[in-house]
Amino acid sequence: MATLVYLLCSLTSMACAYLLLRGYRRSGVALLLWSGLCFMGLGLNNVLFLIDVRYPEIPLLTWRKVPAVIGVSLLLYGLVGDSK
Amino acid sequence: MKLNNFMLGMLMMGFFVATLFFWRFWKRTRDRFFALFALAFGILCVNQVPLLMLGEASEYRGWLYVIRLTAFLVILVAIVDKNRH
Repeated sequence: MATLVYLLCSLTSMACAYLLLRGYRRSGVALLLWSGLCFMGLGLNNVLFLIDVRYPEIPLLTWRKVPAVIGVSLLLYGLVGDSK
Repeated sequence: MKLNNFMLGMLMMGFFVATLFFWRFWKRTRDRFFALFALAFGILCVNQVPLLMLGEASEYRGWLYVIRLTAFLVILVAIVDKNRH
């Protein structure tokens, strides 16, 4: 059950990233690009979590958060830039 | 452990600031898309609190990820809703 939830998180976050980046390609709205990159980072975070659960001998507890931090940082960069 | 908590704190703050930005965009435009994004990032922000409070072992609890899944579903709803209108 828990694994199913983790898998769904990975799939939905990747789907969000895909739709946002597709929207950016069609419209050119920069906010969609930054949001898409953020959700790519969150999606990668979820995928690394799945790997961590499957292979607990690999120490990923802290390192799996790095893509999420990078993604959120890119989003904030885009939000600050757009607000000018 | 300290680095893990530090990064959880960074994520929480990042989600919180994103929530504020999207909330401001919603106030300015009254576009539902921004309101839903603000809600989703607010959920992601709040989701970090039990991870910080309960510690490392809590990260493997499925119920915490149901909250995160809800946020992603809200984003999907926002995108689909925007594309339909």
